[in-house]
Amino acid sequence: MRFDSFEQMLSHLAETAPDAPALRYEEKTLSFSELKQAVDARAATLRAEGKTCLGLLCDGSLDCVVEIFAASLAGLQLVMLNASLDTGTLRTLVRYTDVDTLWGEEDLKEDLELALMEGVKNGAGKILFFTSGTTEQAKAVVLTDYSLCQSAWNGSAKLPLSPADNLLCLLPLDHVFGFVCGLLWGLSCGACVSLGRGARHYLDDCDFYRPTAVSVVPMLLGFLLKQNCLNPELGLVLVGAGDCPRELLELAEARGLHVCFGYGLTETSSGVAISVRGDPFAMEVCPDDTVTIAEDGEVLIQAPTCMMQGYYKRPDSTHEVLRDGVLYTGDLGCIDENGLLHITGRKKDVLVLPDGTKLFLPDYESALMKTLEHTELAVILIHDRPALVFSGEATPAALSEKLRPLMRRLPRGNQIAEIIVVHEPLPRTATGKIKRWELRQKVTDHA
Amino acid sequence: MSREEILEKTKGVIFDCFPDLKNQELTEDTVINTDTGIDSMGFVLVICKLEALFDIRIPERQWKKLQTLGDVVDAIARRLA
Repeated sequence: MRFDSFEQMLSHLAETAPDAPALRYEEKTLSFSELKQAVDARAATLRAEGKTCLGLLCDGSLDCVVEIFAASLAGLQLVMLNASLDTGTLRTLVRYTDVDTLWGEEDLKEDLELALMEGVKNGAGKILFFTSGTTEQAKAVVLTDYSLCQSAWNGSAKLPLSPADNLLCLLPLDHVFGFVCGLLWGLSCGACVSLGRGARHYLDDCDFYRPTAVSVVPMLLGFLLKQNCLNPELGLVLVGAGDCPRELLELAEARGLHVCFGYGLTETSSGVAISVRGDPFAMEVCPDDTVTIAEDGEVLIQAPTCMMQGYYKRPDSTHEVLRDGVLYTGDLGCIDENGLLHITGRKKDVLVLPDGTKLFLPDYESALMKTLEHTELAVILIHDRPALVFSGEATPAALSEKLRPLMRRLPRGNQIAEIIVVHEPLPRTATGKIKRWELRQKVTDHA
Repeated sequence: MSREEILEKTKGVIFDCFPDLKNQELTEDTVINTDTGIDSMGFVLVICKLEALFDIRIPERQWKKLQTLGDVVDAIARRLA
């Protein structure tokens, strides 16, 4: 069912299925009526406190979910923060988003107290999620409870759950894919949502909650399959938020799972296309969205109900990607003869060299990895020439020697011009993508 | 339990989880991410097994700080003390 706000969704479910289980966390279960009561009570407290912008240090607990809905009902601007970030980064994010009150672990709240700001005007209904920052510094994306509810409906129109379903939410709620596809998707369908108990329970959450459906990122799916910890009742797996090797999806399907792959961005309040049958990489566009392909292959999205309002306090960055209601995704794709969307790469993973030639980084790095028998590496541009950043123990001279046969096969302009060996892991997003912006910054700072 | 014993048990858990590493010499200076090829999910697996083995709990916020085997041994030793 389509809802226009969290309040409407919770009220409807509390009226129509008051005793049905809404949320499970550890041994505790809340019915829809209990959830509504808890949210209303907490919203009343928040209203009385008079704050305007809540920074939520997400821990994925039942109380955390109640706080999210309560803050929204109370008209606060809500900022979804990843509690595992280092304190310095969190302070920066708190200041940037004008947070005037915090929810989360007491010790962490104390550490962040000095960063609190004066709050906001007109923040009601706004929910800020941070982009993963794969290629640029993380930005806060302004969404609303309306856009998130539309996104949940959009997805469930293609892939509905029933009230008998039990959706396991293993992903962090501060990630829009986790929030929409791990939480709202289930609740808006009247299904029970079981809240994962954190990374240390990845191995036994399926056994504990016995879900029928789960949303995962590719790396987590690989882990669950490899460790053989999926329960027999599990029938549906929704994979998103990152490139997924075809072999992994095939392995899951071979185990009798219905695997669907979703494509979306934080800027579109999560998914805009999803595969529901056949080839998991051939995705149907969701009903509220329109996807077109630009001449250079870039995927362009119009999503009037789900589109972000913009990047928080960054109008220039917003204008770079969102013009006349069209989102320029930076992803490359095509639409096949059946009208299904295929994502083929990331435009921002293309390096454009001064001579006009382009390096498609996934292919290039894959060749380097194969040659060097090492996966922890990345290619960035330094002084407009490709440089290899190698994380591990080796000397540039030894690496250069190993690469020589490969380099000989490439146009001169495409050849690696510099090798930088670092001893710390490459900076990556939660889904494993290299944060190229941060890497470039680090390498430049070193020099 | 001595530091050496903790290190040996930790290595045992890693070898159980990743048999391919049995031929590799692991020391306190071994950088888990780059020297062993253990990815972030593999790291979760190792930490969970270590927590069960030593009956301790290392907060998730601390996990990313455990870069070397020595860091892991430190974290365990602190909680056993």
